[in-house]
Amino acid sequence: MRQLFSPGRVVLLLFFVAAAVLPLVVDPRGHLLRVAAMVLLFAAMAQSWNIVGGLANQISLGHAAFFGLGAYTSTLLFLKLGVSPWIGMFAGAVVAGVAAALLSIPTFRLKGHYFALATLAFAEVMRVIANSWAGLTGGPVGLSIPFMGTQPAYFAFRAVSSYYWAILGLLVFVCIVFQLLARGAIGYRLRAVRENENAAEVAGVDTFRVKLTASIISAGLTAMCGTVFAQFTFFFDPDSIFSLAGISVRMAMIAIVGGLGTLGGPIIGALFLIPLEEVANAYLSSKAAGLSQLVFGLILIAAILIQPRGIMAFWPKKRRAARAARSSVAPAQAAAKGA
Amino acid sequence: MNALLQADAIAVTFGGLKAVDGVSFTLKAGEIIGLIGPNGAGKTTLFNALVGLQPLTSGKVVLDGDTVSGLKPHKVAAKGMTKTFQNAALFPDMSVVENVMTAALLRHDLAGARMRAEQVLDKLGLSPIAEADVADLTFPQKALVEMARALATEPRVLLLDEVMAALTPNEMDEVMDVIRALKAEGLSFLVVEHHMRAIMALCDRLLVVNFGRLIAQGTPAEVAANPAVIEAYLGHGAAGKEAAHG
Amino acid sequence: MLQALVDGLLLGGVYGVIATGLSLVFGVLGVVNFAHAEFLMLGMYVAWFAWRYLGLDPLIGSVLSFIVVFAVGYGVQRTLIQRVLKAPPAAQVFLTVGLLIVIENAALMVFGSDFRSVSVPYQVEGYRLGDIFIGAPYLYAFIAAVILAAALWLFLDRSWMGRAIRAVAQDPMAATLVGVDTGRTYGLAFGLGVALTAFGGAVILPYITVSPTIGGQFVVLMFTVVVLGGLGSVAGALAGGIMVGIVQSMSTLIFPIQLQNLCLFVIFIAVLALRPQGLIKGA
Repeated sequence: MRQLFSPGRVVLLLFFVAAAVLPLVVDPRGHLLRVAAMVLLFAAMAQSWNIVGGLANQISLGHAAFFGLGAYTSTLLFLKLGVSPWIGMFAGAVVAGVAAALLSIPTFRLKGHYFALATLAFAEVMRVIANSWAGLTGGPVGLSIPFMGTQPAYFAFRAVSSYYWAILGLLVFVCIVFQLLARGAIGYRLRAVRENENAAEVAGVDTFRVKLTASIISAGLTAMCGTVFAQFTFFFDPDSIFSLAGISVRMAMIAIVGGLGTLGGPIIGALFLIPLEEVANAYLSSKAAGLSQLVFGLILIAAILIQPRGIMAFWPKKRRAARAARSSVAPAQAAAKGA
Repeated sequence: MNALLQADAIAVTFGGLKAVDGVSFTLKAGEIIGLIGPNGAGKTTLFNALVGLQPLTSGKVVLDGDTVSGLKPHKVAAKGMTKTFQNAALFPDMSVVENVMTAALLRHDLAGARMRAEQVLDKLGLSPIAEADVADLTFPQKALVEMARALATEPRVLLLDEVMAALTPNEMDEVMDVIRALKAEGLSFLVVEHHMRAIMALCDRLLVVNFGRLIAQGTPAEVAANPAVIEAYLGHGAAGKEAAHG
Repeated sequence: MLQALVDGLLLGGVYGVIATGLSLVFGVLGVVNFAHAEFLMLGMYVAWFAWRYLGLDPLIGSVLSFIVVFAVGYGVQRTLIQRVLKAPPAAQVFLTVGLLIVIENAALMVFGSDFRSVSVPYQVEGYRLGDIFIGAPYLYAFIAAVILAAALWLFLDRSWMGRAIRAVAQDPMAATLVGVDTGRTYGLAFGLGVALTAFGGAVILPYITVSPTIGGQFVVLMFTVVVLGGLGSVAGALAGGIMVGIVQSMSTLIFPIQLQNLCLFVIFIAVLALRPQGLIKGA
């Protein structure tokens, strides 16, 4: 019953191939490649969020916390102890995973609005700590990663294309993890938890453990994205890396606009939104500060009101995935039952 | 005579309201017990308390020598007791077979769970709709899938909460045959049902609850002749009509 | 110590009114309005412009803030919020988050990123009661908040409109049956909710400067107050506001100022986890 070459997989494969050869056909130092790298990075972030937000329908507004933990862990390990960011990336994932586990203890019973509020507050806690604990984090000034030329062992390159391929690799990795989870036993259990938690428990699903596993994996992957972001941009500060609108909401929004709970959703969402923002920034920022963000907010509102199932809803074969999204975002009676 | 399931003075209190008030009973292997009582008597709360969905205020539930009260429902399911939901609480995002598979994952890996789910569906005559979307099912089909999902956890005690509510008499007979066949394999049941005909035909013993208290128990014939039951339950007329049928 | 208690009480009364608006919106519409703090910002700007161009003291300008933001809120509810009332939480969350981003950045475009403040004659004045010093702006803001809270209570309790709002909060279906226009009532409740918050923003203008990002500083504070008092409970929000005000001014005795918010967040998450129905509401 599982097709190895379903149309969806072929399209996805073509996308990855096209993405892989892109640096060979465009200016390897150019702005276009930087934008493309950001598309891939945000696709990876949104896919990480999708594990919790899409598969388990836990609407997190605090994933910036894990993103920032990843960036801070690897960067501080490098700056203070000289540890390679490659190792720091996994250390960051572990730190974020532990943070997610700790956060799960008080929040696992919370649903909907309450869960969103608690996660939002958690990211704010991280932001306040990073701003206040200047001795460790450098405080509001942020952290800079010194330029070192090309040193692959330390995740440092001259060429944008090298970072680009690293980010593409991360996206592929995150997508594989997502698909293994979605198709595996835990995917069934997560969907059961999403649809009806009591029924899932009675059917033998350890709902706490399932949600815990998903949030640890999601946080760990998000932290890896954070490390890669730090290496790629060389600089970050607490207000930008723990930003609600800039990180937490954007991760969620890309997944929602693309198609919640689907493999392709975050990629399509990022392909649509990041270039759009880029264009808005390029052409509108000169007109007025805030205009591009305003456009971003308007798109979010429009997406919710016009097609809550996301762009993937227009993909005919994904009826079931679309229904998944419908029961979590769109107006439907089905969701009331799960609460 | 060994009790498979033993409820020992269990009580559930909401605020000041005693929804279940000191109920004790035992269930033997291969036995079917019917639980009857007027609406709001606490039958569903009692079921929820037995499987761990509703914490007990006091009392104890013992399943085959293990205390299961205080455990979470998935642990109780792993020990061999689960229930169906009154208004089929299926996972609407999944197909029929996926619903059943999710429960079968309790004791099997993915491939094994699929096989197990297909076996259970076959046993209940649901194979033709295995790949159907839950949203497209009729009410009776939903009730049967609900039962299939519960069976996929391979329980020793199964609590059925009005699975026959929407069935035609013919469908009801089919479900009763399935239940009897499972009983013959050693499965025990606790059944809440409003159809007196089904209750009388199926159950070895009956428990009668009213206002959360156990007011009578015995064989169907004994219970039907008990003045307290007639007062509390049959006297309401709802079952009087049913009694005329059976 | 006693000084901190009095400071906290004066701050907390205003927080109470600010958060009451948020709680009212949740109680009646069942929507958690993540954009709520942006209406506080709008209220502050209205009061600032009223002071700058009409020469109105913010305490009087606050009435203008109330009216203007009420109208904006009513419009927002009828055109946007109404459409997700029956939608699952995720849609509501992201609609109001989108609204937050739009309002904040629209304000940035229109008003610029400058911090604006007012100067009023009583700005640095105060009253001395033994060892305790009471700042005049804090005291007047508190009095204004108390008057508004009393007016709100009278409105909800006595007026037909207020009773309609409460009826819809309890049972929209039944309210419709007795002739309440639920759509319009939702609009009024949302307008009233954001207007209360805008009023609270205006009266604190003498001691807090306004900028387009001021909402961000109040959002967690507001939610903490509301969660403490129980989401949807108006009386709870008032009590929660005073509690948070006192906690905040007490915590300045122990922690450096930037960790004040941290204290709030920790309380916030703890309350959500332990008693999501609120500390004050119910037993």
